[in-house]
Amino acid sequence: MKPFLTLVRKNLHDARWSLFLSATLLGFLGWLLVYVASRQETRIRQALTSGEGFNWVRRMGLDADPPSIEIMMAFWNHPFIILLVAMFALGRGANAVGAEIERGTLDMVMSRPVSRSAYLGAQVLASSLGILLIAAALAVGAYAATYYNVLKSPPSFRVLMEPALNLAALAFPMYGYTLWFSSMDIVRWRALTAGSALTLAGFIARVIALIPVFEESWWRPWAEHASLFSLYNPVDAVSGRGHVGQDVAILLGLGAGFIALAFLSFAYRDLPANA
Amino acid sequence: MHPTASESASLIVSRGLSKAYGGNYALRDLDLEVRRGEIFGLLGPNGSGKTTTIRLWLGLMRPTRGTATIFGHDCWAGGLQVRRLVSYLPGELRMPGSLTGLGVLKFLSGLRDGEGLDRAEAIADRVMGLDLGKKVRKYSTGMKQKLALAQAFADPVDVLILDEPTSALDPSARLDVLNLVREAKAVGQTIVFSGHVLSEVEAICDRVAILRRGRLVHVEDMHARRRLRMLLVRFEGDQPPPFPEELELTLRRMRGPAFLLEHRGELGPLLRWLATVPVADLAIGTEDLHALYDEYHGPDAVDDDEDRAR
Repeated sequence: MKPFLTLVRKNLHDARWSLFLSATLLGFLGWLLVYVASRQETRIRQALTSGEGFNWVRRMGLDADPPSIEIMMAFWNHPFIILLVAMFALGRGANAVGAEIERGTLDMVMSRPVSRSAYLGAQVLASSLGILLIAAALAVGAYAATYYNVLKSPPSFRVLMEPALNLAALAFPMYGYTLWFSSMDIVRWRALTAGSALTLAGFIARVIALIPVFEESWWRPWAEHASLFSLYNPVDAVSGRGHVGQDVAILLGLGAGFIALAFLSFAYRDLPANA
Repeated sequence: MHPTASESASLIVSRGLSKAYGGNYALRDLDLEVRRGEIFGLLGPNGSGKTTTIRLWLGLMRPTRGTATIFGHDCWAGGLQVRRLVSYLPGELRMPGSLTGLGVLKFLSGLRDGEGLDRAEAIADRVMGLDLGKKVRKYSTGMKQKLALAQAFADPVDVLILDEPTSALDPSARLDVLNLVREAKAVGQTIVFSGHVLSEVEAICDRVAILRRGRLVHVEDMHARRRLRMLLVRFEGDQPPPFPEELELTLRRMRGPAFLLEHRGELGPLLRWLATVPVADLAIGTEDLHALYDEYHGPDAVDDDEDRAR
């Protein structure tokens, strides 16, 4: 057990700066979005009641006179939030194997009595903890902000953690497929490029699916279902509408599937000297 | 399959070990045994297959063909058990620069259940003279190599595999490393020493394997080699006298009236025989490992057909 824990500790040490920066920025964003929601709450409520303006909020399923938390969550779809979580997940996935071979540091670890599954397991555990931590930082920032900004009905921390978990689950398959690419490769850039391209394609598919012009197109449901981002719905996560539990399960299942593929690829591959 | 008598005395056994990338063989049909408690040298230029052999032994790569075992554990299927018994110093050493020297030692020993940390600290501090509180990124290449060597020699293992262990070291540190290798042998460890510095290999190895283009071309017993004498002799007259069989003289080369002879036996009978034959001129000397190495890798080395066909 000690080698495994040593590896987990080392991985967390390696990730400490990106973890700190991502968590700090997300915590700040969580605070900022509560501030924005607090300033806009009255206007948004009026718009939802009158049916004029703030159409992007209405499209997220908000009815007239929603609770404050739902208005807050409309802002959690901000691309910055998704970008920060995706960057952490993609970076950690690409670093796991390809980057270690490229740097030549994998030899130092794998020539010790460490199994390949323990090596990758330690990577997955440390990165999953990191993803959970930065998603939780968003909820912590938002919760702290509720004490300093006026909201009609301030949410509890537990309620805020539900969309945060949805966000963490969204990052899990991104981490999974980048880890899979990395576990087959000998350089970092290729896994990172492939992971980023796949993530960007999913994001674009989601954006296209939401454009009103394409609402009647036959391919719109396909584009929507092809995107991971359609499974991230912070408003639904707090309102109880939709099927967030199922969406989170699908995201975690996809992530677990990609991670299983990464374990398989890593178990049977050659580990060459540094590239 | 039951091991042969020589295999049971051997600790590392390779049988037909091959590694190919596409159609190119990095290692081909390696049949080699490393005996328990010996210092075994691996020689050959870059690309000759030394590092590939070591990586196959460590279970880092899967052989295309053949098998390798250490203590009877298959190196690929039982790689984890193998690495419990082996400590490896990579040729191209990279370390996480954000850790201190002590941090690296703690990390590496942590991967072996914390074993050997005290000894590694002692070697790094007292023998290698390293400042373990300093970040590794501030270490020179030689200092990093010393740190890794301290860990390798501290590991409580049966086999040490050292890939170019002195490549970045100053002369005094090289001597320290050679002494540590001798100490490791004295306590019963088996050492595989891969290197390019022939004088070092010659000084410490019990046996040496020479590889060329992925093939094992020669295994030399260094103890027998140290008993080897080279005689350059010119006899009077047209015909040389017959060489007595009991002297075990081997004709290496003949150039005009001069003969280059190898002799591995006792010196007395040789001198007595030389006193009885008409010698016009005589030089007796030894031959270093370089001469043997040059037979396979020197400017006059000849490729065999198979090598050319690869």
